[in-house]
Amino acid sequence: MAAQERTSSDFTVEIKQTLGGESITRCYQCGTCASSCPVAKMTDRYNPREVIRLALLGQRENVLGSDTIWLCASCYQCQERCPQEVEIADVIYALRNIAIREGKVPKIYAEFAATLTRDGRLVSMSKFLEKKRIEYGLPPLKPTGVEAIRKILSATGFDKLPISGMKGEST
Amino acid sequence: MEAAKVGVFIADCGGQISKVLDIEAITNFVKNIDGVAFVARNSEFWRGQGLQIIVEAVKNKKINRVVVAESIPKISELAITKAVEEAGLNPYLVEVLDLKNHCAWPHRDAPLEATEKAKALLLAAIEKAKLLEPIEKAEFPAVKSVLVIGGGIAGMQAAEDLAEMDFQVYLVEREPFLGGLAAMAGHFFPTDDCAVCIQSPDLKTISRTSRKCVYRSGFSEIPNLNILTNSRVVKLEGAPGNYKVTVERKPRYVNEKKCVACDLCASVCPVEVPDEYNAKLKTRKAIYINKPLIYPPVYVIDEEACKFHDCARCVEVCPAKAIELDQKPEKVTLNVGSIIVATGFKEYDPSVIKEYHYGEYPDVITHLELARMLDAFGPTNGVIIKPSDKKPAKRIVFIQCVGSRDRRWNPYCSSICCMISLKHAIMIKSAYPDADVTICYIDMRTAGRGYEKYYERARELGVKFVKGRPSEIVHDPSANTLIVEVEDELLRRLLELEADLVVLATAMVPSEDSKELAGILGLELDEDGFFKEYNAKLRPTETKRRGIFICGGATFPKDVPTTSIHSHSAALKAAKFLLHGRIVKDLKVAFVNEEYCSNCQICPVTCPYGAITLVPKENGHFVARVSALICEGCGICVGTCPVGAIELTHLRQNQIQTQIRALLSINGTSNPLILAISCSECGHTAVDSSGMSMMRYPANVRVLKVPCAGMVQVQHILEALKAGAQGVMIVGCKPDGCHYEVGSGKAQKKVEMAKMLLKAYGIEPERLEMFHLIYVEGDRFAEAARIMTENLKKLGPLRL
Repeated sequence: MAAQERTSSDFTVEIKQTLGGESITRCYQCGTCASSCPVAKMTDRYNPREVIRLALLGQRENVLGSDTIWLCASCYQCQERCPQEVEIADVIYALRNIAIREGKVPKIYAEFAATLTRDGRLVSMSKFLEKKRIEYGLPPLKPTGVEAIRKILSATGFDKLPISGMKGEST
Repeated sequence: MEAAKVGVFIADCGGQISKVLDIEAITNFVKNIDGVAFVARNSEFWRGQGLQIIVEAVKNKKINRVVVAESIPKISELAITKAVEEAGLNPYLVEVLDLKNHCAWPHRDAPLEATEKAKALLLAAIEKAKLLEPIEKAEFPAVKSVLVIGGGIAGMQAAEDLAEMDFQVYLVEREPFLGGLAAMAGHFFPTDDCAVCIQSPDLKTISRTSRKCVYRSGFSEIPNLNILTNSRVVKLEGAPGNYKVTVERKPRYVNEKKCVACDLCASVCPVEVPDEYNAKLKTRKAIYINKPLIYPPVYVIDEEACKFHDCARCVEVCPAKAIELDQKPEKVTLNVGSIIVATGFKEYDPSVIKEYHYGEYPDVITHLELARMLDAFGPTNGVIIKPSDKKPAKRIVFIQCVGSRDRRWNPYCSSICCMISLKHAIMIKSAYPDADVTICYIDMRTAGRGYEKYYERARELGVKFVKGRPSEIVHDPSANTLIVEVEDELLRRLLELEADLVVLATAMVPSEDSKELAGILGLELDEDGFFKEYNAKLRPTETKRRGIFICGGATFPKDVPTTSIHSHSAALKAAKFLLHGRIVKDLKVAFVNEEYCSNCQICPVTCPYGAITLVPKENGHFVARVSALICEGCGICVGTCPVGAIELTHLRQNQIQTQIRALLSINGTSNPLILAISCSECGHTAVDSSGMSMMRYPANVRVLKVPCAGMVQVQHILEALKAGAQGVMIVGCKPDGCHYEVGSGKAQKKVEMAKMLLKAYGIEPERLEMFHLIYVEGDRFAEAARIMTENLKKLGPLRL
């Protein structure tokens, strides 16, 4: 954390107004989430208590600029155990949504978005994968209703999000 | 009744009034009002020579109604009514108004307008005075006897206080022995001595330094104190000062007068059951006594465990022939004037928190269970063991805030668990310096004299503190070890603490019978299930039920010092209530016109004090009846009754109507007239304080005082508009600070409803507004009056 960064409550207000972020101010930093978190057990890079702490201190850039919030596996264990009923996994989603609005999307998610728009699936099918399916006795994949999916993406405003590569650009 | 002869006394407050108002014109106006028999002017009327003028006029029978324009709110009113009463006139035939703070000062920039307003204020007071009726006093019996429910530390202290003040005291305890939770705690903070230690009674013969164990204190021998163990309250009848309480006594099956506590019965008893007193860490027989001796020193048979006549070995061996297997439950009726609830609290069952596996892993225990282990007389004789294999426990982890500060179970802080864990940690480290003791905490809370020293001492002794709430306790069966998973937040590192014993500092919750008892006594519980006090700030041991008091852990988890203070407070309140053997009360109360009562049954529910009951009439009809003893005279029932069948003796409907008309009969300003109906509590003091601190607001605002905003009827609002008001302000307390609990909130709802009604009549709803103010918000009243005036000017004249 940059020591000189001033704390501000504006970010907290913004999170509380974002779907899923409403409960963030209930957090009293007990750390139940951190010691419940399977991701935190594997890596030092992610600690849900710390994400919330930084957010409540108004460390906007720190929270949205790093890849930390994208490491949550959405297992909801923290949320189940939180004594203050902070909807931690949902707060993380809120933070991700704020990040996306500002175009701060990790490359892999941008690729998912582009593939979804182009092919109607999150992961594009390669010749290799198709061959593997046959080997495993799986039927060939049916073509996706990509037009219908694009309609949904358009109706929900997904295609307007500032995610690079989504509008047919190469990723 | 004699025709009203009103005396009007106008104080000039050392020129403060005449500086602004034309007193000459006002006096002439008053003299010409019908019914005014005497008018006097003086600098002040509430004391000295001025007061003497009033007294003389009353004594000489020149007048039989007194109207005084004074300037010291409340104090002047009290002094004047007292003097008038002494002069032989009923004190309720007096009306006091405030020409300085309600007129001259706030309107000092507009003397002509203020003078006209002063005339209106005086006219309203005089017209009301003409309709005033005497109010008499009533006397109710107060039996000098108190029931104390709960024989723990709180109940025993309150009972002792009252018995020593010569009240008959009945101490009812549900369990077979006195002592409650405290008796199980072993040691106490902050005195580091026995939990069963109490102040010895009878200060007359024993020195003040004397403290003894409950059973050695002679507690049971205090004159006037009757102890009923194994008993519970099942029914309450009667009224404050004179209750009939039914108490059900479970049979003890052992004659209290014969038992010599020799233990022969227990030694032959074949039945063994878990011992609750020892947190089930040990068993006891079906016939048993809590050891070491508490009170009474008499064995008891656990009727659920005993085989009675199929066994009866104890009967054979008892040398005192004390065992009576045929005892039956009995009901006792007690006549008491007052009741103190001291039912305490209990430990929360933490098995609901699945991650901690309480009840599943034997080595996960609560702090009360640890307290029993640490007691030298307890199940392990003071040795800390792992219940699973009975081996000594060397690594002990405490987890704080288990089930408390937790929105899923109990959202509040149980307030004493940090201190309990510190006390236990210190005891363990002192006895076993090589023990590895860790306390996992969210926040350490040690507020109290000397409490921080416990925290310091624990650190000195090497107790480790980890800031972090554990997420899970895991059992490693190969080593029979517990692993506590926790984040050390200060290191930002995940830890796995190995432990032989994990102690859960579990929440403190209301005793199980609280809800049932609250129902029997008609008491309110708070959202957490604790008994609710009348007012948290000023009346912490009183309840809304006059004559019923609460103390100790029944109101919230408490340490022993606070419980002591609380118990003495409740005892004092009960003593004060019954002191004179009778309750004398002015009949400033609500009464029901039974002819109009339509049996809608709304008022009994509305009354915050339970003063209204339904009594049967012929043809299966019921009518509402107000208990004059219980009624507080707020008038919320008046504001609620849909047919106008209820009135207050101290503010009749015709008095309200005549004041509304008089206040609005003179305008004298170019501004639209506004009637402000204010409650006589926070609302009216806010009006007072705006004047006293010389805030300015326009003279078109006229204030009518009622006991509580909850008394206001929609009809009053409509009458004001009909009588010339262009707008109506309702001024009451804050909804959660209403002096009559619900009045201000009800008024708010009524205003919202009335706004819809006005709209339906084609009247702008903005003409009616409610304001919630407190004394220190006089500036907000002045501001509200100004804004309301501006808004009404924009709306233009009201067209009816």
